[in-house]
Amino acid sequence: MIEQFLSFLGALMDQTGLAHFWWGNVVMIAIGCAMIYLAVAKGYEPLLLVGIGFSCIISNVPGSDLTQPGGLFHYAYQGVELLIVPPLIFFGVGAMTDFAPMIANPKLVILGAAAHLGIFVALIGAKLLGFTLNEAGAIGIIGGADGPMAIFMAIKLAPHLLPQISVAAYSYMALMPLIQPPVMKLLTTHDERRIRMKQSRQVTRLEKIAFPIVIGIIVNLFFPPVAPLITMLMLGNLFREVLVVNRLAKTAANEVMNVIIIVLTVAIGSTMAADKFLTIDTIEIVGLGLIAFLFGTGSGVIGAKILNLFLKEKINPLLGSAGIASVPIAARVSHNVALEYDSENYLIYHAMGPNLAGVFGTAISGAIMLALLGVK
Amino acid sequence: MTMPDTLYGALMLSLVDFFASLVMISGIGVVLALFPLLNRIGKVDEEALRKTHH
Repeated sequence: MIEQFLSFLGALMDQTGLAHFWWGNVVMIAIGCAMIYLAVAKGYEPLLLVGIGFSCIISNVPGSDLTQPGGLFHYAYQGVELLIVPPLIFFGVGAMTDFAPMIANPKLVILGAAAHLGIFVALIGAKLLGFTLNEAGAIGIIGGADGPMAIFMAIKLAPHLLPQISVAAYSYMALMPLIQPPVMKLLTTHDERRIRMKQSRQVTRLEKIAFPIVIGIIVNLFFPPVAPLITMLMLGNLFREVLVVNRLAKTAANEVMNVIIIVLTVAIGSTMAADKFLTIDTIEIVGLGLIAFLFGTGSGVIGAKILNLFLKEKINPLLGSAGIASVPIAARVSHNVALEYDSENYLIYHAMGPNLAGVFGTAISGAIMLALLGVK
Repeated sequence: MTMPDTLYGALMLSLVDFFASLVMISGIGVVLALFPLLNRIGKVDEEALRKTHH
Protein backbone atom coordinates (compact mmCIF):
# COMPACT_ATOMS: atom_id res chain seq x y z
CA MET A 1 0.00 0.00 0.00
CA ILE A 2 2.74 2.44 1.06
CA GLU A 3 4.92 1.28 -1.85
CA GLN A 4 2.07 1.92 -4.27
CA PHE A 5 1.47 5.33 -2.71
CA LEU A 6 5.16 6.22 -3.08
CA SER A 7 5.25 5.05 -6.67
CA PHE A 8 2.17 7.20 -7.47
CA LEU A 9 3.89 10.09 -5.73
CA GLY A 10 7.06 9.45 -7.78
CA ALA A 11 5.05 9.37 -11.00
CA LEU A 12 3.36 12.59 -9.98
CA MET A 13 6.75 14.20 -9.29
CA ASP A 14 7.93 13.19 -12.74
CA GLN A 15 4.99 15.07 -14.21
CA THR A 16 6.10 18.29 -12.51
CA GLY A 17 9.13 20.40 -13.27
CA LEU A 18 10.74 19.61 -9.91
CA ALA A 19 12.25 16.35 -11.16
CA HIS A 20 14.16 18.22 -13.89
CA PHE A 21 15.31 21.13 -11.78
CA TRP A 22 19.12 21.56 -11.61
CA TRP A 23 21.54 24.17 -10.27
CA GLY A 24 21.83 25.84 -13.67
CA ASN A 25 18.16 26.77 -13.47
CA VAL A 26 18.74 28.33 -10.04
CA VAL A 27 21.62 30.43 -11.44
CA MET A 28 19.54 31.62 -14.38
CA ILE A 29 16.56 32.42 -12.17
CA ALA A 30 18.94 34.48 -10.00
CA ILE A 31 20.19 36.28 -13.14
CA GLY A 32 16.58 36.98 -14.16
CA CYS A 33 15.86 38.38 -10.68
CA ALA A 34 19.04 40.49 -10.85
CA MET A 35 17.85 41.99 -14.16
CA ILE A 36 14.51 42.93 -12.67
CA TYR A 37 16.31 44.36 -9.62
CA LEU A 38 18.62 46.49 -11.83
CA ALA A 39 15.61 47.74 -13.78
CA VAL A 40 13.47 48.54 -10.74
CA ALA A 41 16.02 49.66 -8.15
CA LYS A 42 18.73 51.16 -10.37
CA GLY A 43 16.68 52.27 -13.36
CA TYR A 44 18.91 50.44 -15.88
CA GLU A 45 16.95 50.05 -19.14
CA PRO A 46 13.70 49.00 -17.41
CA LEU A 47 11.81 48.71 -20.71
CA LEU A 48 14.14 45.91 -21.70
CA LEU A 49 15.30 44.27 -18.50
CA VAL A 50 11.90 43.68 -16.86
CA GLY A 51 10.60 41.58 -19.76
CA ILE A 52 13.91 39.80 -20.38
CA GLY A 53 14.35 39.06 -16.67
CA PHE A 54 10.84 37.69 -16.22
CA SER A 55 10.88 35.44 -19.27
CA CYS A 56 14.38 34.27 -18.30
CA ILE A 57 12.99 33.20 -14.92
CA ILE A 58 9.98 31.42 -16.42
CA SER A 59 12.08 29.72 -19.10
CA ASN A 60 14.22 28.19 -16.38
CA VAL A 61 11.34 26.65 -14.52
CA PRO A 62 11.32 23.09 -15.89
CA GLY A 63 7.92 22.04 -17.05
CA SER A 64 6.96 25.44 -18.41
CA ASP A 65 5.58 24.90 -21.90
CA LEU A 66 5.68 28.57 -22.83
CA THR A 67 8.91 28.15 -24.79
CA GLN A 68 7.68 25.05 -26.63
CA PRO A 69 5.64 25.09 -29.87
CA GLY A 70 2.17 26.17 -28.81
CA GLY A 71 3.53 28.44 -26.07
CA LEU A 72 3.40 32.22 -26.38
CA PHE A 73 7.14 32.76 -25.70
CA HIS A 74 7.89 30.36 -28.55
CA TYR A 75 5.87 32.45 -30.97
CA ALA A 76 7.47 35.65 -29.68
CA TYR A 77 10.83 34.09 -30.54
CA GLN A 78 9.50 33.15 -33.97
CA GLY A 79 8.91 36.85 -34.55
CA VAL A 80 12.59 37.46 -33.88
CA GLU A 81 13.85 34.40 -35.73
CA LEU A 82 11.81 35.20 -38.83
CA LEU A 83 13.24 38.74 -38.71
CA ILE A 84 9.86 40.38 -38.28
CA VAL A 85 10.61 42.05 -34.95
CA PRO A 86 13.97 43.82 -35.67
CA PRO A 87 12.67 45.81 -38.68
CA LEU A 88 9.61 46.83 -36.68
CA ILE A 89 11.85 48.15 -33.91
CA PHE A 90 13.64 50.25 -36.51
CA PHE A 91 10.24 51.42 -37.78
CA GLY A 92 9.37 52.71 -34.30
CA VAL A 93 12.82 54.23 -33.79
CA GLY A 94 12.54 56.05 -37.12
CA ALA A 95 9.24 57.58 -36.07
CA MET A 96 10.83 58.76 -32.80
CA THR A 97 14.04 60.19 -34.26
CA ASP A 98 14.88 63.62 -35.60
CA PHE A 99 17.76 63.17 -38.05
CA ALA A 100 18.36 66.93 -38.33
CA PRO A 101 21.64 66.84 -36.31
CA MET A 102 23.06 64.37 -38.83
CA ILE A 103 21.82 66.32 -41.88
CA ALA A 104 23.09 69.61 -40.44
CA ASN A 105 26.65 68.44 -39.87
CA PRO A 106 27.61 65.88 -42.53
CA LYS A 107 31.33 65.95 -41.71
CA LEU A 108 30.61 64.29 -38.37
CA VAL A 109 28.96 61.37 -40.17
CA ILE A 110 32.35 59.72 -40.63
CA LEU A 111 32.57 59.27 -36.86
CA GLY A 112 29.72 56.77 -37.26
CA ALA A 113 32.21 54.49 -38.99
CA ALA A 114 35.31 55.40 -36.96
CA ALA A 115 33.66 54.24 -33.75
CA HIS A 116 33.22 50.74 -35.09
CA LEU A 117 36.76 49.48 -34.76
CA GLY A 118 35.51 47.50 -31.75
CA ILE A 119 33.45 45.31 -34.09
CA PHE A 120 36.60 44.09 -35.78
CA VAL A 121 38.69 43.75 -32.63
CA ALA A 122 35.96 41.51 -31.20
CA LEU A 123 35.67 39.62 -34.50
CA ILE A 124 39.39 38.83 -34.56
CA GLY A 125 39.31 38.01 -30.83
CA ALA A 126 36.42 35.60 -31.37
CA LYS A 127 38.30 33.89 -34.19
CA LEU A 128 41.35 33.53 -31.95
CA LEU A 129 39.12 31.88 -29.35
CA GLY A 130 38.03 29.28 -31.87
CA PHE A 131 34.67 30.54 -33.08
CA THR A 132 33.86 30.08 -36.75
CA LEU A 133 34.13 33.18 -38.96
CA ASN A 134 30.34 33.50 -39.14
CA GLU A 135 30.06 33.26 -35.35
CA ALA A 136 32.91 35.75 -34.95
CA GLY A 137 31.12 38.20 -37.26
CA ALA A 138 27.91 37.93 -35.27
CA ILE A 139 29.82 38.44 -32.01
CA GLY A 140 31.73 41.40 -33.44
CA ILE A 141 28.55 43.28 -34.30
CA ILE A 142 27.87 43.60 -30.54
CA GLY A 143 30.48 46.39 -30.79
CA GLY A 144 28.10 48.36 -33.00
CA ALA A 145 25.91 48.83 -29.90
CA ASP A 146 22.79 48.46 -31.97
CA GLY A 147 20.45 45.88 -30.43
CA PRO A 148 18.19 45.11 -33.42
CA MET A 149 21.22 44.99 -35.73
CA ALA A 150 23.01 42.58 -33.37
CA ILE A 151 19.91 40.35 -33.39
CA PHE A 152 19.62 40.62 -37.16
CA MET A 153 23.24 39.60 -37.70
CA ALA A 154 23.06 36.82 -35.12
CA ILE A 155 20.03 35.32 -36.86
CA LYS A 156 21.80 35.55 -40.22
CA LEU A 157 25.23 34.31 -39.13
CA ALA A 158 24.92 32.29 -35.92
CA PRO A 159 21.33 31.81 -34.72
CA HIS A 160 22.45 29.44 -31.95
CA LEU A 161 24.33 32.34 -30.32
CA LEU A 162 21.33 34.71 -30.35
CA PRO A 163 20.68 34.61 -26.58
CA GLN A 164 24.27 35.39 -25.61
CA ILE A 165 24.69 38.06 -28.29
CA SER A 166 21.42 39.84 -27.60
CA VAL A 167 21.91 39.77 -23.83
CA ALA A 168 25.50 41.05 -24.16
CA ALA A 169 24.49 43.80 -26.61
CA TYR A 170 21.57 45.09 -24.56
CA SER A 171 23.40 44.76 -21.23
CA TYR A 172 26.39 46.77 -22.41
CA MET A 173 24.12 49.37 -24.00
CA ALA A 174 22.52 49.83 -20.59
CA LEU A 175 25.97 50.07 -18.99
CA MET A 176 27.44 52.57 -21.47
CA PRO A 177 27.36 55.46 -18.98
CA LEU A 178 29.78 53.38 -16.89
CA ILE A 179 31.90 51.87 -19.69
CA GLN A 180 32.56 54.87 -21.92
CA PRO A 181 33.66 57.83 -19.71
CA PRO A 182 36.97 56.33 -18.45
CA VAL A 183 38.08 55.62 -22.05
CA MET A 184 36.94 59.07 -23.23
CA LYS A 185 38.84 60.79 -20.44
CA LEU A 186 41.95 58.68 -20.98
CA LEU A 187 42.18 59.68 -24.64
CA THR A 188 41.43 63.40 -24.38
CA THR A 189 43.06 66.37 -22.68
CA HIS A 190 41.27 68.73 -20.31
CA ASP A 191 41.26 71.47 -22.97
CA GLU A 192 39.90 69.16 -25.67
CA ARG A 193 36.97 68.22 -23.46
CA ARG A 194 36.10 71.91 -23.12
CA ILE A 195 35.95 72.66 -26.86
CA ARG A 196 32.62 74.30 -27.67
CA MET A 197 30.82 73.56 -30.90
CA LYS A 198 29.42 76.22 -33.22
CA GLN A 199 25.65 76.22 -33.49
CA SER A 200 24.46 74.00 -36.35
CA ARG A 201 22.49 75.34 -39.27
CA GLN A 202 18.72 75.03 -39.39
CA VAL A 203 17.52 72.01 -41.37
CA THR A 204 14.43 72.73 -43.47
CA ARG A 205 11.30 70.56 -43.68
CA LEU A 206 12.08 69.78 -47.32
CA GLU A 207 15.46 68.33 -46.33
CA LYS A 208 13.88 66.34 -43.51
CA ILE A 209 11.32 64.84 -45.91
CA ALA A 210 13.94 64.14 -48.56
CA PHE A 211 16.27 62.39 -46.10
CA PRO A 212 14.36 59.12 -45.57
CA ILE A 213 13.57 58.86 -49.28
CA VAL A 214 17.17 59.42 -50.40
CA ILE A 215 18.63 57.10 -47.75
CA GLY A 216 15.99 54.48 -48.51
CA ILE A 217 17.07 54.46 -52.15
CA ILE A 218 20.81 54.42 -51.32
CA VAL A 219 20.48 51.56 -48.84
CA ASN A 220 18.35 49.38 -51.09
CA LEU A 221 20.69 50.08 -53.99
CA PHE A 222 24.01 49.52 -52.24
CA PHE A 223 23.28 47.49 -49.10
CA PRO A 224 20.40 45.10 -49.84
CA PRO A 225 21.34 42.65 -47.04
CA VAL A 226 20.38 45.18 -44.36
CA ALA A 227 17.71 46.98 -46.38
CA PRO A 228 14.82 45.50 -44.31
CA LEU A 229 16.06 47.33 -41.21
CA ILE A 230 17.04 50.70 -42.67
CA THR A 231 14.03 50.82 -45.00
CA MET A 232 11.70 50.49 -42.03
CA LEU A 233 13.74 53.07 -40.10
CA MET A 234 13.25 55.46 -43.00
CA LEU A 235 9.54 54.69 -43.36
CA GLY A 236 8.98 55.50 -39.69
CA ASN A 237 10.98 58.69 -40.12
CA LEU A 238 9.04 59.70 -43.23
CA PHE A 239 5.77 59.30 -41.30
CA ARG A 240 7.22 61.65 -38.68
CA GLU A 241 8.58 64.31 -41.00
CA VAL A 242 5.80 64.71 -43.58
CA LEU A 243 3.52 66.07 -40.81
CA VAL A 244 0.38 64.89 -42.62
CA VAL A 245 0.16 61.41 -41.06
CA ASN A 246 0.72 62.25 -37.41
CA ARG A 247 -1.61 59.44 -36.36
CA LEU A 248 0.60 56.87 -38.04
CA ALA A 249 3.79 58.45 -36.74
CA LYS A 250 2.45 58.43 -33.20
CA THR A 251 1.26 54.84 -33.55
CA ALA A 252 4.67 53.74 -34.82
CA ALA A 253 6.51 55.60 -32.07
CA ASN A 254 4.23 54.49 -29.25
CA GLU A 255 1.82 51.58 -29.70
CA VAL A 256 3.84 49.61 -32.28
CA MET A 257 7.08 50.25 -30.43
CA ASN A 258 5.62 49.20 -27.09
CA VAL A 259 4.13 45.98 -28.45
CA ILE A 260 7.38 45.13 -30.20
CA ILE A 261 9.41 45.78 -27.05
CA ILE A 262 7.19 43.33 -25.16
CA VAL A 263 7.58 40.69 -27.88
CA LEU A 264 11.33 41.27 -28.19
CA THR A 265 12.12 41.15 -24.48
CA VAL A 266 10.02 38.05 -23.93
CA ALA A 267 11.67 36.39 -26.91
CA ILE A 268 15.22 37.16 -25.75
CA GLY A 269 14.57 36.07 -22.18
CA SER A 270 12.95 32.87 -23.37
CA THR A 271 16.18 31.82 -25.07
CA MET A 272 18.13 32.00 -21.82
CA ALA A 273 17.60 28.40 -20.75
CA ALA A 274 20.41 27.26 -18.43
CA ASP A 275 21.56 24.36 -20.59
CA LYS A 276 22.16 26.70 -23.53
CA PHE A 277 23.29 29.78 -21.66
CA LEU A 278 25.64 28.52 -18.96
CA THR A 279 28.56 27.74 -21.22
CA ILE A 280 32.13 28.89 -21.72
CA ASP A 281 30.95 30.45 -25.01
CA THR A 282 28.72 32.82 -23.06
CA ILE A 283 31.59 34.02 -20.86
CA GLU A 284 33.76 34.52 -23.93
CA ILE A 285 31.03 36.41 -25.81
CA VAL A 286 30.32 38.66 -22.84
CA GLY A 287 34.07 39.39 -22.52
CA LEU A 288 34.42 40.09 -26.25
CA GLY A 289 31.38 42.37 -26.12
CA LEU A 290 33.04 44.48 -23.43
CA ILE A 291 36.29 44.65 -25.44
CA ALA A 292 34.28 45.72 -28.50
CA PHE A 293 32.61 48.55 -26.59
CA LEU A 294 35.90 49.78 -25.13
CA PHE A 295 37.68 49.76 -28.49
CA GLY A 296 34.69 51.30 -30.27
CA THR A 297 34.60 54.17 -27.79
CA GLY A 298 38.34 54.67 -28.10
CA SER A 299 38.43 54.53 -31.89
CA GLY A 300 35.58 57.04 -32.07
CA VAL A 301 37.47 59.53 -29.91
CA ILE A 302 40.70 58.98 -31.84
CA GLY A 303 38.75 59.32 -35.11
CA ALA A 304 37.48 62.73 -33.95
CA LYS A 305 41.02 63.79 -33.06
CA ILE A 306 42.26 62.72 -36.51
CA LEU A 307 39.39 64.65 -38.09
CA ASN A 308 40.52 67.70 -36.12
CA LEU A 309 43.86 67.59 -37.93
CA PHE A 310 42.02 68.52 -41.13
CA LEU A 311 39.49 70.98 -39.71
CA LYS A 312 39.97 74.71 -39.19
CA GLU A 313 37.25 74.78 -36.60
CA LYS A 314 38.05 72.00 -34.13
CA ILE A 315 35.35 69.65 -32.94
CA ASN A 316 35.09 68.34 -29.40
CA PRO A 317 36.64 64.83 -29.56
CA LEU A 318 34.12 63.61 -26.99
CA LEU A 319 31.68 63.55 -29.92
CA GLY A 320 33.65 60.64 -31.37
CA SER A 321 32.49 58.11 -28.81
CA ALA A 322 28.89 58.96 -29.76
CA GLY A 323 29.60 57.28 -33.10
CA ILE A 324 28.70 54.02 -31.38
CA ALA A 325 25.15 53.44 -32.52
CA SER A 326 23.27 53.15 -29.26
CA VAL A 327 20.81 56.05 -29.69
CA PRO A 328 20.63 58.28 -27.69
CA ILE A 329 22.65 56.75 -24.85
CA ALA A 330 26.09 57.34 -26.41
CA ALA A 331 25.19 60.94 -27.32
CA ARG A 332 24.02 61.54 -23.77
CA VAL A 333 27.31 60.16 -22.40
CA SER A 334 29.32 62.60 -24.60
CA HIS A 335 27.10 65.45 -23.41
CA ASN A 336 27.42 64.53 -19.74
CA VAL A 337 31.20 64.09 -19.81
CA ALA A 338 31.58 67.50 -21.50
CA LEU A 339 29.37 69.08 -18.85
CA GLU A 340 31.71 67.81 -16.13
CA TYR A 341 34.42 70.12 -17.49
CA ASP A 342 32.30 73.06 -18.64
CA SER A 343 28.83 73.39 -17.18
CA GLU A 344 27.65 75.43 -20.18
CA ASN A 345 28.99 73.21 -22.94
CA TYR A 346 25.88 71.49 -24.29
CA LEU A 347 26.99 68.83 -26.75
CA ILE A 348 23.82 66.76 -27.00
CA TYR A 349 22.55 68.12 -30.34
CA HIS A 350 26.00 67.83 -31.95
CA ALA A 351 26.56 64.36 -30.48
CA MET A 352 23.31 63.13 -32.00
CA GLY A 353 24.87 63.56 -35.48
CA PRO A 354 27.59 60.89 -35.11
CA ASN A 355 25.27 58.86 -32.90
CA LEU A 356 22.67 58.58 -35.67
CA ALA A 357 25.42 58.03 -38.22
CA GLY A 358 26.53 55.13 -36.03
CA VAL A 359 23.24 53.38 -36.80
CA PHE A 360 24.10 53.58 -40.49
CA GLY A 361 27.72 52.71 -39.79
CA THR A 362 26.72 49.47 -38.05
CA ALA A 363 24.21 48.62 -40.77
CA ILE A 364 26.73 49.27 -43.54
CA SER A 365 29.38 47.27 -41.73
CA GLY A 366 26.88 44.42 -41.28
CA ALA A 367 25.87 44.54 -44.93
CA ILE A 368 29.49 44.38 -46.09
CA MET A 369 30.18 41.55 -43.66
CA LEU A 370 27.22 39.52 -44.95
CA ALA A 371 28.33 40.10 -48.52
CA LEU A 372 31.93 39.08 -47.77
CA LEU A 373 30.75 35.97 -45.95
CA GLY A 374 28.42 35.07 -48.79
CA VAL A 375 25.31 35.16 -46.58
CA LYS A 376 22.03 36.54 -47.96
CA MET B 1 34.17 34.88 -53.32
CA THR B 2 33.86 34.30 -49.59
CA MET B 3 36.42 34.68 -46.83
CA PRO B 4 38.29 31.58 -45.64
CA ASP B 5 37.28 30.46 -42.15
CA THR B 6 40.72 31.17 -40.70
CA LEU B 7 42.45 33.89 -38.71
CA TYR B 8 43.69 35.30 -42.02
CA GLY B 9 40.07 35.40 -43.20
CA ALA B 10 39.06 37.25 -40.02
CA LEU B 11 41.83 39.80 -40.51
CA MET B 12 40.95 40.32 -44.18
CA LEU B 13 37.24 40.58 -43.40
CA SER B 14 37.95 43.16 -40.70
CA LEU B 15 40.26 45.25 -42.86
CA VAL B 16 38.02 45.26 -45.93
CA ASP B 17 34.85 45.84 -43.90
CA PHE B 18 36.31 48.69 -41.80
CA PHE B 19 37.70 50.65 -44.73
CA ALA B 20 34.73 49.94 -46.99
CA SER B 21 32.40 51.14 -44.21
CA LEU B 22 34.45 54.33 -43.86
CA VAL B 23 34.22 54.96 -47.60
CA MET B 24 30.50 54.20 -47.76
CA ILE B 25 29.56 56.33 -44.79
CA SER B 26 31.71 59.13 -46.17
CA GLY B 27 29.64 58.79 -49.34
CA ILE B 28 26.48 59.30 -47.29
CA GLY B 29 28.19 62.34 -45.74
CA VAL B 30 28.83 63.75 -49.22
CA VAL B 31 25.17 63.20 -50.17
CA LEU B 32 24.08 64.97 -46.98
CA ALA B 33 26.46 67.86 -47.73
CA LEU B 34 24.47 68.40 -50.94
CA PHE B 35 21.15 68.58 -49.08
CA PRO B 36 21.12 72.39 -48.73
CA LEU B 37 20.86 72.50 -52.54
CA LEU B 38 17.38 71.02 -52.21
CA ASN B 39 16.23 74.30 -50.75
CA ARG B 40 16.72 75.91 -54.15
CA ILE B 41 13.82 73.82 -55.45
CA GLY B 42 11.41 75.50 -53.12
CA LYS B 43 10.03 75.59 -49.62
CA VAL B 44 7.55 73.37 -47.81
CA ASP B 45 4.78 75.24 -46.05
CA GLU B 46 4.82 73.53 -42.64
CA GLU B 47 1.72 75.33 -41.40
CA ALA B 48 -0.30 74.08 -44.36
CA LEU B 49 0.94 70.52 -43.74
CA ARG B 50 0.03 70.70 -40.08
CA LYS B 51 -3.49 71.89 -40.94
CA THR B 52 -4.10 69.03 -43.35
CA HIS B 53 -2.70 66.26 -41.16
CA HIS B 54 -4.64 63.04 -40.72
